[in-house]
Amino acid sequence: MTTQQQVVQAPIPREVRLREQANLVRRLHTGNAIAMGVLVVITTLVVLIFVSIIIWLIVQGASTLINPAFYGMGEDGIAKELYNTFYILILSELFLFPISLAAAIYLIEYARPGPFVTAIHFAAETLAGVPSIVLGLFGFLIFGVVLHLGTSRLSGALTLLCLNFPLGLRLFEDALATVPREMREGGLALGATKWHTIRTVVLPSALPGLITGFILTAGKIIGEAAALIFTMGLFNPANVFTGDPGIASDTLTTRLYYIKGPGGGTLGLTPAQETAVAAGLAAVLILLLLVINLGARGLGRLIQRRITAA
Amino acid sequence: MAQGQISGTSNRQLSRLSDQVARVVFLACAILLILVIVSVIIFIGSNAFRIFFADGAQGTSFKEFFTVSNWDPTGNNGNPAYGAAGLILGSVVITLLSVIITAPLAFGLALYFTEAAPRWLATLLQPLIEIFTGMPSVVIGFLGLVILVPFLQKVTASLTGGLQLGGYGWGAATLVLIIMILPTVISVSIDALRAVPGSVREASLALGSTRWQTMSKAILPAAGPGLATAIVLGMARAIGETLAVALVLGGDQLPKDIFTPRVFFQPNVNITYKIVQDFGEVSGAARDAYWTLAFILLVISFLFICVSRYLASRSVYR
Repeated sequence: MTTQQQVVQAPIPREVRLREQANLVRRLHTGNAIAMGVLVVITTLVVLIFVSIIIWLIVQGASTLINPAFYGMGEDGIAKELYNTFYILILSELFLFPISLAAAIYLIEYARPGPFVTAIHFAAETLAGVPSIVLGLFGFLIFGVVLHLGTSRLSGALTLLCLNFPLGLRLFEDALATVPREMREGGLALGATKWHTIRTVVLPSALPGLITGFILTAGKIIGEAAALIFTMGLFNPANVFTGDPGIASDTLTTRLYYIKGPGGGTLGLTPAQETAVAAGLAAVLILLLLVINLGARGLGRLIQRRITAA
Repeated sequence: MAQGQISGTSNRQLSRLSDQVARVVFLACAILLILVIVSVIIFIGSNAFRIFFADGAQGTSFKEFFTVSNWDPTGNNGNPAYGAAGLILGSVVITLLSVIITAPLAFGLALYFTEAAPRWLATLLQPLIEIFTGMPSVVIGFLGLVILVPFLQKVTASLTGGLQLGGYGWGAATLVLIIMILPTVISVSIDALRAVPGSVREASLALGSTRWQTMSKAILPAAGPGLATAIVLGMARAIGETLAVALVLGGDQLPKDIFTPRVFFQPNVNITYKIVQDFGEVSGAARDAYWTLAFILLVISFLFICVSRYLASRSVYR
């Protein structure tokens, strides 16, 4: 068929063919240049937006950050919120770290691939997709009402466990999966039990990944707000500097929401002061997250080097 | 000698026992995860339908809930009203709009990042994306409130007729949502593009394709399901995003004139904003209505996760 057509068609003159080829090449190259230009513009735009947001937050908060009253106990100070944030960070990591690590150990070391593992991964993905405000309502209902914990730090920490369980599980699974199989086999071949092998061989060599996972979940806990509003409240009792898990607390994030949201104008601050405190809170949060993110990378690498050198 | 043997045996028994105990503890923690998600569904689901079966003036019907736009569970303006159509419309509109704008930006950046970016740019981008993935939504909401809302108010003053609260609303919420979901969509897209094997690129380049032809005709189709997953996960995040949009929506009801461009720049509502604003102050039947809203969010996000799993199962390269 095609050969017949070719026979029937008159031969195209050489210069016409060359011209068409040159046109095609030019068209393709122009298209390529335009497309690549668009990609560069998009990338530059997004990077500029991201970088300027970070810079704007820090610059805007800088004048508040150097104001000593900002670190005090007054309505324009964040001493309580700083304490509460680190308190809730430690309290919820006390639940989150062992439980999600244990679940990850089960999935990586014990479970055989099958419906059970699939079910757990499906559950983890579904839980990760539940909006944090919905988990906040769930925490309010089950921890606050059903378990009678009320609006308290404990309710908040348990809600944060539910919220960050899937993330912790995934991070710790990844950390354990990096340990080569030969190391486990070596331990088992020496006659150690499985748990003994995990304790003495697998966990130490997965340590850099575990620490990275710990730090990344810590970042999520510090940044979370929506899940805490109904479980931990927006207000502080008279004395927050206690270890009591039964009292209501706010955190840096919920304080920021309260000042610019429902509590605006009720704190006895001028709108300018409110915005200044909010800008300071935002700057503190962004600095904490910068430290955490860069720290997670640096620390993981450092420990890796220590261990491999030892 | 005999004693040593006995203690050896008991040691072995002890370690075997601790092995068993450890195994059971690990299993319990894994099952706890399933327990959490099941109880989330059961507890919120069991509260979600009460509003439809309450007697008399307390309750409402499915029809009213989903088709009428009049949300007033506490009865501030007379009888309690449970028409959530406006809230649902708000969530759907800002989610769809933000995803439509986010998708080309995220795909463009991911393509450039994986295919063409110089090394220094890649090392700058990686931590930047990670930091923004973990960005607290309340910080972005604050940013939107302080920068975006006054800016939109000024720009759209002629459109809204100098409305006092102009600038709040769907427009600002959409822009804030874009910042919130962009990092997630970007990083999932990057994973999807990286999963395409190098042989696909090489085959296309060897046929004489330009870089852009390789990207658009070979790499993008090959990564298709993965990119679709990125979009769906972005939507799942957008529909549940709370504090960022709560700070810039600022309305009580759906505005009257929803078919004009003005609607984007005046105070408006969505589901999450109403929950976070009102849930703490209501009780009884009114609170039941908020459980229904939470259940709607739960169902929508569950559907999104199912779709993303289905898409992931269809992708050739992982």
